[in-house]
Amino acid sequence: MNELQLIPLLPFIILAMASVVTILLIAFRLSHTVIQVTGFLMMCLVVFATWYVRDTLPEEVPPLFIVDGQAALFTGVIIFCVLVIGLFSYIYFEEREENPKEYYILLFLATLGAAILTISQHFISLFIGLELLSVSLYALIAYLRNRNNAVEAGMKYLVLAALSSAFLLFGMALIYMEAGSMKFSGIAEKLPQVSSSPLFLMGLGTIVVAIGFKLALVPFHLWAADVYQGSPTPVTAFIATISKIGTFAVLLRFAQTIHLQQYPLIIAIFSVIAISSMIVGNILALRQQNLKRLLAYSSIAHFGYLLVAFLPGNEAGTEAAAFYLIAYSITLLSAFGVITLLSSREHEAETLDIYTGLIWRRPVVATILAISLFSLAGIPLTAGFLAKFFVLSAGVQQAVWLPLAVLILTSVIGLYYYLRVINTLFGTSGTADVMQKTVHPFFHVSTYITLVVLAGMLFWIGVFPGLVLQGIRLFLLLH
Amino acid sequence: MPVQYYIFLSIVLFCIGVMGVLMRRNAIIIFMCVELMLNAVNLLMVAFSKMWADAGRVDAAGAQIFVFFIMVVAAAEVAVGLAIIVMVYRKSQSVDINIMNRLKN
Repeated sequence: MNELQLIPLLPFIILAMASVVTILLIAFRLSHTVIQVTGFLMMCLVVFATWYVRDTLPEEVPPLFIVDGQAALFTGVIIFCVLVIGLFSYIYFEEREENPKEYYILLFLATLGAAILTISQHFISLFIGLELLSVSLYALIAYLRNRNNAVEAGMKYLVLAALSSAFLLFGMALIYMEAGSMKFSGIAEKLPQVSSSPLFLMGLGTIVVAIGFKLALVPFHLWAADVYQGSPTPVTAFIATISKIGTFAVLLRFAQTIHLQQYPLIIAIFSVIAISSMIVGNILALRQQNLKRLLAYSSIAHFGYLLVAFLPGNEAGTEAAAFYLIAYSITLLSAFGVITLLSSREHEAETLDIYTGLIWRRPVVATILAISLFSLAGIPLTAGFLAKFFVLSAGVQQAVWLPLAVLILTSVIGLYYYLRVINTLFGTSGTADVMQKTVHPFFHVSTYITLVVLAGMLFWIGVFPGLVLQGIRLFLLLH
Repeated sequence: MPVQYYIFLSIVLFCIGVMGVLMRRNAIIIFMCVELMLNAVNLLMVAFSKMWADAGRVDAAGAQIFVFFIMVVAAAEVAVGLAIIVMVYRKSQSVDINIMNRLKN
């Protein structure tokens, strides 16, 4: 290891520094606004650093990390999400908590964990990244400790995440016993000799349990609805986007390195998980009256769709998965942004009653929510439609017919509950709107503008996907 | 000693931990059981590290370093976890997890 190898790690070092800088700013008693702006600038710095190091990619930092185009792509999406979530957090926490500053430390640490997952190629870095992400998330979920059952949600996530990371470690230990290496490429070398050993398969199985828990796939999805409902809305957006992107990135790298998809047993297991996630997620969402829980179940279904792109294990599948994650995170960010904007000091805007006739009262916000729901449902002209289309075409190439059929059928079921929410938006307004005075006009306006831009991006990607696809291909070539 | 003994002991410890998490209702006991599972893994890691070192692999010490990482992370997890358990206790004067059923539709 020499100093030249440190250069590709520059974005991650800056990301780690962001939380240290935030701690120092708090120590000097600077205001929430200063911390918010500094955090924003630090994240912009991370983007610039990624751009600066692009020529050195791909670079391996043995034994723990590999910084290649795929990692840069997923890190870019993660940083984009944390920029938006940071902005949403300002108005959300400024109204609720007297002391929202430590929130940003945890937010940046959790982001660092997810970013480390995208570059890890060793069990140690996988574990450290995953734990950095989850331990920060325990505190983030329970951050507003006096309201909304946040502590209950935090406790549930804590117990189940700790259990799943113990399973992950156990799986790692068993795989290490058989393969004698904890590096993904080292495991890949020994794989032909050990792939039929029962302890190796058991290890692989327990790792799948842990990853499935993090991605909230059926049958490890039981925490999702409660945690989505109980945690502060920006944190819900974080769990739904960044935490899952990071976990999926590491799953993708592990599968690519050890060529996981050439084993029929593994394909069968992942197919069953994907199919049951699509069915269970969509069916449980049908009767939901709570928008946050509805989005939780819909995210279970969406990660089932994403696994269909993961099943073929080819270039097109990776491309489709990256496109899907980009479209999905923009969609969810705009949906959770609307929930954040509508939440008042006392109530989260989560029950569907609040949304009755919203289009007549706040047309812009309601339109943005409607667009994001259309995108989740996969209506043409939105990004969600093309994302599903690319997943389908990747699956057709490898002829994984059963998951594809289930994908199409459950999408139709999904249409019902997304349209039900949109129908509510257009209903006759029962409650008169109490227009609250906005405490921070500047941040309110910038949140509004961000939401409009996000909705515009959904349309833009949905109609002209060429530029995004080209970018994804360019990044994926760097490996 | 053959490595099978360690594997057997670790699997037994791990299963006791899983059983405890699934069956006990006291949040602190559940936490102890998670720690038991992590320590079962530590034992397994050290045993395998020795096994591969005996087999002549030079990088086998990596697994022992991993054990230190696991210990540190477990300590961090307990620090945050106990803080959350204290908040649960302050709210409801109990650490029984059966009372946590208010989040539902």
